[in-house]
Amino acid sequence: MVIPGWFEIVIRSVIAFLILLITPKLFRKTAIAHYSYFEASAMLIIGVILAIGSFQLSVPVGYAIIALLTWTSIVAMVNFLALKSVSFRNFIHGKGIPVIKDGKVLEDNLKKERYTTDDLLKLLRTKNVFKAADVEFAVLESNGDVSVLLKKENQPLTAKDMLVPVAPIKEPQTVIMDGKVMDEALATVGFNRGWLEGELEKQGIAIENVFLGQVDSYGELTVDLFDDKIQVPPPKEKPLLLASIKKAQADLEIFSLQTDNQQAKTLFTHCASEMTEVLARVEKYLR
Amino acid sequence: MTVGSQVKQCLASLKSIAANLNTLALKTEDEEARLAFHETCLKTRKIVQQIELRVGELEFEEPQYKGF
Repeated sequence: MVIPGWFEIVIRSVIAFLILLITPKLFRKTAIAHYSYFEASAMLIIGVILAIGSFQLSVPVGYAIIALLTWTSIVAMVNFLALKSVSFRNFIHGKGIPVIKDGKVLEDNLKKERYTTDDLLKLLRTKNVFKAADVEFAVLESNGDVSVLLKKENQPLTAKDMLVPVAPIKEPQTVIMDGKVMDEALATVGFNRGWLEGELEKQGIAIENVFLGQVDSYGELTVDLFDDKIQVPPPKEKPLLLASIKKAQADLEIFSLQTDNQQAKTLFTHCASEMTEVLARVEKYLR
Repeated sequence: MTVGSQVKQCLASLKSIAANLNTLALKTEDEEARLAFHETCLKTRKIVQQIELRVGELEFEEPQYKGF
């Protein structure tokens, strides 16, 4: 029985497609733009082998498969060795080369990589750096990207710099999607449907009207509605609590000043100072 | 407003603070924050107890304003 040529192409193409589904497992999980020269070429070669194998009927199937096996095993071996040995990894995937160090441009390294000053400035601009003097250290990565460490005074201000205490946060959970309750996410944050319904009722919202609902690690529910004309009030629970703590503290202090009874005075003073401690302790979480 | 009613009002808001802190302690995931809420809740409850005693004294001094 002779298989017609077109049918053989179909069979070969389907097989090539199936192989194509497996090959990504050989490569690292990154965007193609981040592949090193070796990885990108190997991927191209595998693709070409599969393409030629699928429609070039003059090439026996065996040859295509042998070429494929050889190349995939080379890739697998190289990746394995690269995992084990640092010097081999640097040889195959390339190594980042510093182009700015201690705020000074390293012209020799730029020349070695055949980069012009314009290229460097262009790369820096992609990192929102328009002034080379703002950079403390910059590395030209093997994929042609540049990584920039700005001088400390040019870095964005952080809470740590300002010595501002901040409350730790965990990832929020999406508990409502398109008006449907995500029970699993709800259970992850330790709540149930009853709680959710109660929270929505507090805000006066019907669950069918909720497009997206998220719960943060402090149990605060924020929602986005299908109907964008309805204004959802921002959650006020925590700021209200903070305000009432402040008020109670002030009240206690006033009582301690107003009373003539010595015993009551000490009591109120003590309570006021205790309340100050409470305020200091929870302020960062409630802000 | 008499001093007694002012203290009573303060007592009520202290109770509400303690309850709110307790709720937050229960539903917060972060361990550090949960501890802070819990401890401050206990502290506030202690203050509530002390103020309650004082309210009792005030009611004794001004029996005409007794009760909420």
